Amino acid sequence: MNMKRDRFLGAVLLLPALAFIALLVGAPFLMALVLAVTTSSAGSLDVTFVGLQNFRDVFGSPVFRTALRNTLVFTLASQAAVILLGNVLAVALKKAFRGRSFVRFLILMPWAAPIALSTLGWLWIFDSTFSAINWILKVSGYFGPGEWYYWLGDTALGMIAVVTVHVWRMLPFTTVIILAGLTSIPEEVHEAADIDGAGFFSKLFHVTIPMMLPILFVAVLFGTVFTFTDMSVVYLLTRGGPYNSTHVLASLAFQEGVLGGDVGRGAAIALFLLPLLVVMAVLMLRRSRRAEVL
Amino acid sequence: MRRSGPFRLAGAAVHRAVVLLFAAFAVFPFYWMVVTAFKQNSDLYVGAMNTAHNPFIFNQAPTLDHVKYLFTETPYPTWLFNTLSVGLIVVAVTLALAVPAGYSLARLSGRWGERLGIGVFLTYLVPSTLLFIPFSRLISILGLQNTTWALVLVYPTFTVPFCTWLLMGFFKSLPAEIEESAMVDGCSRLGATVRVILPLSVPGLLTAVIFSLTLVFQEFVYSLTFISSVEKMTVSVGVPVALIRGDVYYWGSLMAACLVTSVPLAVVYNLFLDRFIGGITGGAVKG
Amino acid sequence: MDDAKTKGRISRRDLLKAAGVGVLAAGIGPAVVIPGRARAANKTLKIVQWSHFVPSYDKWFDPWAKSWGASRGVDVVVDHVSIGDVVPRATAEVAAQAGHDVHMFLGLASAFEEHVIDLSDAVRTIEKKHGPQLGLAKRSTYNPFTRKQFALSDMWVADPGDYLKSVWTEIGMPGGPSTWEDLVKAAPEIKKKHPEMQIPIGIGLSQELDSNMAARGMLWCFGGSIQDKEGNVVLNSPETLHALEYAKRLFSAGMTRAVLSWTPASNNQALNARETAYILNSISAYRSAQDNKLPVADDIFFTPALKGPTGIQLASEHVMSGYVVWKFSKNQDLAKEFLVALVDASRDSALASKLYNLPSFYGAAADPGVPAAKRPKAGSDWVAGQCKSDPFGSKPADKLTVLAAADQWSTNIGYPGFANPAEGEIFDTFVVTDMFAKAATGALSPKEALAEADTRAKQIFNKWRKKGFVGGGSKDR
Repeated sequence: MNMKRDRFLGAVLLLPALAFIALLVGAPFLMALVLAVTTSSAGSLDVTFVGLQNFRDVFGSPVFRTALRNTLVFTLASQAAVILLGNVLAVALKKAFRGRSFVRFLILMPWAAPIALSTLGWLWIFDSTFSAINWILKVSGYFGPGEWYYWLGDTALGMIAVVTVHVWRMLPFTTVIILAGLTSIPEEVHEAADIDGAGFFSKLFHVTIPMMLPILFVAVLFGTVFTFTDMSVVYLLTRGGPYNSTHVLASLAFQEGVLGGDVGRGAAIALFLLPLLVVMAVLMLRRSRRAEVL
Repeated sequence: MRRSGPFRLAGAAVHRAVVLLFAAFAVFPFYWMVVTAFKQNSDLYVGAMNTAHNPFIFNQAPTLDHVKYLFTETPYPTWLFNTLSVGLIVVAVTLALAVPAGYSLARLSGRWGERLGIGVFLTYLVPSTLLFIPFSRLISILGLQNTTWALVLVYPTFTVPFCTWLLMGFFKSLPAEIEESAMVDGCSRLGATVRVILPLSVPGLLTAVIFSLTLVFQEFVYSLTFISSVEKMTVSVGVPVALIRGDVYYWGSLMAACLVTSVPLAVVYNLFLDRFIGGITGGAVKG
Repeated sequence: MDDAKTKGRISRRDLLKAAGVGVLAAGIGPAVVIPGRARAANKTLKIVQWSHFVPSYDKWFDPWAKSWGASRGVDVVVDHVSIGDVVPRATAEVAAQAGHDVHMFLGLASAFEEHVIDLSDAVRTIEKKHGPQLGLAKRSTYNPFTRKQFALSDMWVADPGDYLKSVWTEIGMPGGPSTWEDLVKAAPEIKKKHPEMQIPIGIGLSQELDSNMAARGMLWCFGGSIQDKEGNVVLNSPETLHALEYAKRLFSAGMTRAVLSWTPASNNQALNARETAYILNSISAYRSAQDNKLPVADDIFFTPALKGPTGIQLASEHVMSGYVVWKFSKNQDLAKEFLVALVDASRDSALASKLYNLPSFYGAAADPGVPAAKRPKAGSDWVAGQCKSDPFGSKPADKLTVLAAADQWSTNIGYPGFANPAEGEIFDTFVVTDMFAKAATGALSPKEALAEADTRAKQIFNKWRKKGFVGGGSKDR
């Protein structure tokens, strides 16, 4: 009886959210799947079926292949940096020190700034003519005569700039998650390890990292998902330039599908990596769930 | 701690250096914004190859012109208000949907719940570029075009999956015995939940609130396309529309807008950070 | 058993309450909005406008549109979008089949041809009043293949060269460059005299508006083009290759990779900071220098389009307004009336924009009372008069004289043919700029860059031909 009632209650509690998701994400998503195999243009929904033509065209395009590679580079590089730096920062912030609250406030700022506006600040910092970074490099003597960085005018520097801004914006978030993980390791565990005479590294590898693993998974999962589907930094900073060489899939999909008006092509680009992402997310979710953190 | 004096000193120095370095990285763009917001234009547009001109200081007297322009020539306060009110309503909708769903997945749905939970989270992965076109149609069918209600409808599509999943984890971390003992005392399941579980869940709810707010404040693509009247825009859209005029950027005012928006928000986040951290770990790692 | 039942009922009631909150929250939205919708059912004309480069234009346009509406008992609503958002907004409205009545495009509205009404009758009305429109305006707003006047242009903006007179005087060319070859010749001289100048010649090669225009100018002056008059893709030509080779020479002589990162604002900023001595832009760089009281303003002068090796002298228009009326609009006649009135106000519009806007129907700028047959000449004379004696504080006052004859050396996107959706998509996805950027920087050889762009251009043309909006194809090269 009780079980049954719980089941019923469970279903009823779940229903509004599920209905909302089905209607507002599920249905539009199916529609997008349909668009990917049509020649829909400029938002009109009267369409011609073209099968996998869009996918074939897209895959044949060098710009797409660059964007595919960039997406992987962008995600891996920024995640590696964010996790590494996040750990260092979290450890540093866990310790009590004077002015900690103020430092925490400063470090949270990038998270609070709307990306559409803060990236404009970076745009000005990376400006080829007015770059403050270049000024420092010049004054410090790093640049010889005639040397100069054209941050957003160069493919490699452009990617570095994009990754830098993304790391800057993700770092507070990841740090907070890792900080939460660190805080949750009971003090007794450390003390026990100390009593056993464990050194710093032995403690790191035998106590801290294993206990942190589940929450690190969560941080990586959030970060990866967020990075993979995000177009804002690329779109606002380089707009994919120079010559479409810094696009990621999300920004390229927006350029081709919305700005260029080829909705089918845009949908095909956006869908391309979704299967991979889903597999990855499922694996990680199962892993983190087993640990029962979050 | 069995470290000796000099080691501890060195450790403290490294610690200080690390903290300073990170703080500098986080704050650098904001410092740059402050300088830009108060600089005269003739002080601003000097190429970086000119080593004699330090861009980090005011080479000419600072000016309030750009800030004044932001507040008098653009409806900036209105945009702030819109952003905030959309944010709060979205949070309300999100909680109303995600709290029951999260609880249900954690407690009442058995093995099914876990799979569904993952499924719900996966919907968060759908790229917004894909949903853009269908949403436009939906919004016009509902007659919500060019109203902030369009955003209230659309934003929960990414806050609800995320928060449902987050809260599911949080509810799981609370021992089931808590409700059970309350139910033994004569409460219904729902009564027990409301009276006992919710008060314990404040950190989790707070986490969901902050996550939702952040996601809403960061969003600009939907807002850009669904809102067309200047007085209904959010900050992320209104500011660029008014202050980037084709080939003229009002750098000073743009930077001022970013600063004025971010600082109070960062203060609020900082205020709630400790409870927020509690919310993420669910207050418990099972030993 | 009884107990359990009661408990069940209570719990279900609790539950309904809880569910109610969610439904309520979701339900409030529409409920609150409906009154707003009811009001909108009264006659309201809704217009999407860009945020004009010259802010004083918006200050004129918005009240002007409102008062025009008031005189007809119509509510006019003007919403501004920034330049990069014009197309996404349009896409969203077409997908929604609702939104505004009138949408203003810059450059090409042609990609939206199937969603807009034919405006031939409005154009005829205007031509009867003021005489014919400029050829380049017509070629930007009319598709000969479908015989549809899909947009109406009230104004366009010229794209002259802006140069620093003091610098060019030092190298013995006080009048600035007059051919593309002059740029290559001048660049090392400028470098010698001004080693501090980062980018002696500032022609954008980035994914933005100004670069898109500049790349087309280069292509045409060397005799190349994307399409021919009939809409055949002829990009793959020795002329295009020649232009790309030139771009490569120019880049190594006088430019840096900075030009690959430019936003539409960058060339202005570089010129105003004296970091470059020549840019291709409208007069907005100059006006913003004036507004910001930068001393460089008095040193900025203008040249007409540069000449190619065989003497072709063409520049793309910098902005071409293209107002469309959506098929889903319920106020189509009103919208047309509005557009006619807007053209009638061409003179005010040119002045409000500080001579940034030039009329697409020159006749509309003539004195009232001049008969239709004489209006184009009279209007063009009026414009020339304003340019020769700039009412907005130029020193010397005749600095803008170059603009007086700008229609002689300006042409439309799609030249030598008409604008069409394929040209529009090529423009919006930066196919031509990228080709130039890759060739100029050596990322690809000119041949490879051309081959890549040619493939993409043909894909896009073929797609639109299949849809029936673009002709040609039999003589693709």
